[in-house]
Order: sequence, then C-alpha cells, then structure tokens
Amino acid sequence: MDKVSAIFQKELRGFLINPNFFMVCGLCTVIMSWIYPIQLNIFAQELQNYVYQTQIPKQQLNIHYAVFLRHLSYLNLMLILVVPALSMRLFSEERKMRTFDLLLTSPVTSAQIVIGKYLALMVAILVIIGLAFLYPAFTSIFAKVNWLILGIAFLGIFLVSAVYAGMNLFCSSLTESAIVSYVMAVIFNVAIWFVGIGGEIVDSPLARKIFEHISLSQHLSSLVEGTIRTGTLVFFATLVFLFGFLSERVVESSRWR
Amino acid sequence: MIEVSSLTKKYGEIHAIEALSFSVKKGEVVGFLGPNGAGKSTTMKIITGYMAPTSGYARVSGYDVFEDPLEVKKRIGYLPETPPLYNDMYVQDYLRYVAQLKGVEKSKLTSSVDMALEKTNLTEVRHRLIQNLSKGFRQRVGIAQALVSDPEVLILDEPTVGLDPKQVSEIRDLIKELRGKHTIILSTHILPEVQAVCERIIIINKGKIVAEDSLQNLSALKSGAQKINLRIKNPQDDLVRVLSGLKGVMKVYSGATRNNWTLDTEKQDEVIESIAKEVMIRGYGLLEISSAKADLEDVFLKLTYGEETKEVVHG
Ligand SMILES: Nc1ncnc2c1ncn2[C@@H]1O[C@H](COP(=O)(O)OP(=O)(O)OP(=O)(O)O)[C@@H](O)[C@H]1O
Ligand SMILES: [Mg+2]
Repeated sequence: MDKVSAIFQKELRGFLINPNFFMVCGLCTVIMSWIYPIQLNIFAQELQNYVYQTQIPKQQLNIHYAVFLRHLSYLNLMLILVVPALSMRLFSEERKMRTFDLLLTSPVTSAQIVIGKYLALMVAILVIIGLAFLYPAFTSIFAKVNWLILGIAFLGIFLVSAVYAGMNLFCSSLTESAIVSYVMAVIFNVAIWFVGIGGEIVDSPLARKIFEHISLSQHLSSLVEGTIRTGTLVFFATLVFLFGFLSERVVESSRWR
Repeated sequence: MIEVSSLTKKYGEIHAIEALSFSVKKGEVVGFLGPNGAGKSTTMKIITGYMAPTSGYARVSGYDVFEDPLEVKKRIGYLPETPPLYNDMYVQDYLRYVAQLKGVEKSKLTSSVDMALEKTNLTEVRHRLIQNLSKGFRQRVGIAQALVSDPEVLILDEPTVGLDPKQVSEIRDLIKELRGKHTIILSTHILPEVQAVCERIIIINKGKIVAEDSLQNLSALKSGAQKINLRIKNPQDDLVRVLSGLKGVMKVYSGATRNNWTLDTEKQDEVIESIAKEVMIRGYGLLEISSAKADLEDVFLKLTYGEETKEVVHG
C-alpha cells in the first residue's frame, strides 16, 4: 500500500508541476465558458416561447435536459481528447527515459504500478470534471437545480472517464512514443461508443439485449436521467478492471523479455 | 551471497551470455571486465531481476531471482547503464521516491536520503531539478539512487562513466569504503578502476567467462615474458630486422612515433643488455630503455582479443 501511495503521489505531483496540465484545464475552461452561456440563452428563449405556444415537448423545458445534459455531452467530447493527453506519458515516458528500469527492479508489483498511476490519472480527471461542475453549480443561483439528479449525471460522466482512463493507460503501456499512445487512446475512446451500435442493426431480441448490455451509451443514458442500476455500476467496474488488468499484463511482460 | 549457475540469455538468435557460472561472497567487490557487447549488462540485468534468463539460475541471499523477485529486489541497489532519472523531479524528492519504492521505513526516509546525498557529494544540489544537472552529476544521482536504501548488494553498471577525474577517485574511495558492508558487483572497461577497487575480476568475452581470479594471479598470467620500451633518436629501416634477430626477443611493435618501439622479450636481464648494446653499435641513438611491467591491460587484451589488436610488425 505504501508503494502504491508513493507512486500515486509522485505521478500526481508530476501532473501538478506540469504546465501542460494547467494549459489543458485552461483550454477546457475557455471552451466551457464559451458554450455554456449559449446553451443557457437558448434555454431562456425557449422558456419565453413557451408562454406563447404550448407544442414544445415538456422535456426541453427542464433545465436538466436542456442545459446540463448538453453541457455534459460537451464535457464528454472534451474528455475523449483530454484524457489521452493526460495519460500518454504515464508509461511511454518511463520506457523512453529508461526510468522503467527503476520501477521494474524495485520491489513493487506490476499491479501496484498500474494502480498508483491510475489513481493519479483519476485525480487529474476529477479536477477537470470539477471545473465542469462549477457551471451548473453557479446556475443554481438563479434557477432551481435538482442536486441529486445532477450529481448522478456527473457520476455517470465520471464513470465513463474512469473507463477512458483505464483504456488510455493501457495504450500508454504499449508504446514508447507519447504521440502514438495519444492517437491510439483517442481511437479507443471513440470506438467504445460504437460497440453498442450493434443493438440497432441486429434483429434477434437476444442479440439486441446483449448489445444493449455492453453499450456504453445505454448505461450512461440511464445514469444521466438519474437512475443508478447495479448492472450499470458492475458494467463500468468490469471495464475499468479489464483494462487495468491488461495494463498490468503488459507491464509484467516487459519484465520477462 | 550471489550465486550464478549456467546462466544463458538469448536475444532471438544472439547468445548474449552463455553458461555463465560464478559466485560472489558476502562483502566482496567483484569487477566485471569485458569489451563492448560482452554481456556484462545482460548478466547484471538478470541478477537484479529485471530480465529472465533463457536458462540457468541466479540467486541472491538464497532467493532465486525468478521465483522470489520481490525478495531479491529488496536487497539490491542497481545502477543501470543509463541512470533512471526523472527529469522533472528535484534530486532530493527523487531519492525519497526511490527509497519509498525500495521499501525504506517511513521514519528512516529522511536520514536515508541525507546519507545517500552525503556519500555521493550531492548535498549542494539537493534542491535542483535533475533536468538541469550536468552529466557527471546525473551519474552521481544514479549512484545515490542505488545506495539510498542501504542495500546488501550493489550492482553498478559502469559507475564512473562521465565523471571528472576527481569524482572518479571519490567514487572509487566510496566503493572501497562500502567494501565489507555491501557485496558489490561493478562493470567497467577501465582497467585502473578494477585495479583500484576490486578484489576479484571476472573477465567476460562474447558471453563467456574467460578468466576469473584475483588481481595478483591475473597479472601473473603474463610472467615468463616482459615488455621493453625503447626510445631512440635515429631509427633506420633495418631496425625491426636487427632487433627481432636478437636472442630472447619475441616480437617488435612500432610505437606512437618512429622513435618509440616496444619489444616482447623473455624475462632475462641479459636481453635488455644485449638490446642496448645492439642499438648503440648500430648508431640508432639510444635515448631510453626501460622494462614495462606486464599490466592488466595486456592480460585483458590477450584474453579478449588475442593478439590481433596490436599491429605486429615482425614476429
Ligand atoms: N534488447 C536486446 N535485444 C537484442 N540483443 C541485445 C539486447 N540487449 C543486448 N543485446 C546483445 O547482447 C549482447 C550483450 O550485450 P550487453 O549489453 O550485455 O553487453 P555489455 O557487455 O554490457 O557491453 P557494453 O560494454 O557496451 O556495455 C550484445 O551482443 C548485444 O547486442
Ligand atoms: Mg553494458
């Protein structure tokens, strides 16, 4: 446990003293500060229109759907590109700078290395999600916010980013080059959204059920609507564990070449 | 302490090392000597548990490096060929991190770091970023990193590479000081280094041990022959023929200039006498004649390259 926390602290410090991390945070803030008010404006206009016409679907008049969920989908888009940038050097750099030799000749297990790095990555991602949370939080000054549902929606995004983190850490463990690791990670992050699409093209109900069960968007959409299902949590945990395990295997295999 | 038995490592078709066996007793300082690509680093990597051997085994303190890697790694401080340094860390934070990885107790972290900094003379750069250090300082941080957990076994791959002469002698003094308390294996191409610090030498060539002995015994390998350095004013074309025709002279090598020559001769004082006499008679203008001690370098070259490295003028 001490070893995990040593690696965790070292990697976290690595993020915090790296100007790139703050640049990424700054960039995300700029983008969100630009898009969020636009969403809010559109919503305000629709609300005004409602006074005159009643045909507008009720959902669109809920700030949770009209503003917060759009905000979250933009956040998701950013995370697809940002998590790889945060994770790319975690293993690649170690290989390239030969510091991997130190880790591999120290009395630490591959699992400890992966867990330490993964946790540090998750904290860095949490900072960005935290920044994104500020926008709905400030909205609560002039609008009524259902905190529980908002919290669950953010939990959903957090779980999705935990999956990104697992996959992207795995990508980083595969290569010496940070750039290759970045590109690979983005491809993984995009590709995982297409896994569930099979559900729309197959006919048999069983196959459809299976696809629905492994579809990231299905699981996420139930969360953003404010329902937590055990199956969903298990699904995310399984994915994180799977990629954590794969990374551990890759690290372990670099010992016995 | 360290036991290596018929260790073999293949990289694909290349045999990096073949059936290496040796053992190192507690507190001993052993030098690995060998030309580039001999397999020194490969052997060290296997002993540290970094790499698996293709066959054979290595044990440290009775633990097999393959079966009990964690137990072995706890006991080893390792300086790889390229010091494993994080450029974005401060020297002192880096050493603390290494100490944590090696499992040094929390209460001893600070004192371990201070000890390592002191022993490698790094105290004044402890607050500097590793990125901004010169090559020699980086090397010293690499050594400090190996020392920081006060391990029983130290494996140092070319520890004095890139250091200035003063530092080289300080690191050698440090190794001498560690002798007895720690078991040390170091690799090097520099002969004076092993002469200065090692009690025992293992010479490796092309993945095999070609000699393993104490320093005195190895130097004695060449006894029966001696080397004579000759400096003259007017060399003439028949010099090589004349000198090698003398009784007891085995080989004549050309030196740095046409005025310097080296001779391999039998170990008899009369030989020197007769060479001197001949040089005077021929009017070459004798400036200097001296017998050079057969040194480790000769042993090394002879064992690893045969005689092919030196240009044989006449034999
Ligand atoms: N990762 C690798 N893949 C393939 N061959 C390798 C690898 N590492 C080393 N070798 C080969 O194994 C042999 C021994 O290499 P090693 O690095 O152990 O030599 P060395 O004695 O340390 O040499 P040097 O004095 O140059 O450091 C060499 O022929 C080298 O080409
Ligand atoms: Mg080497």
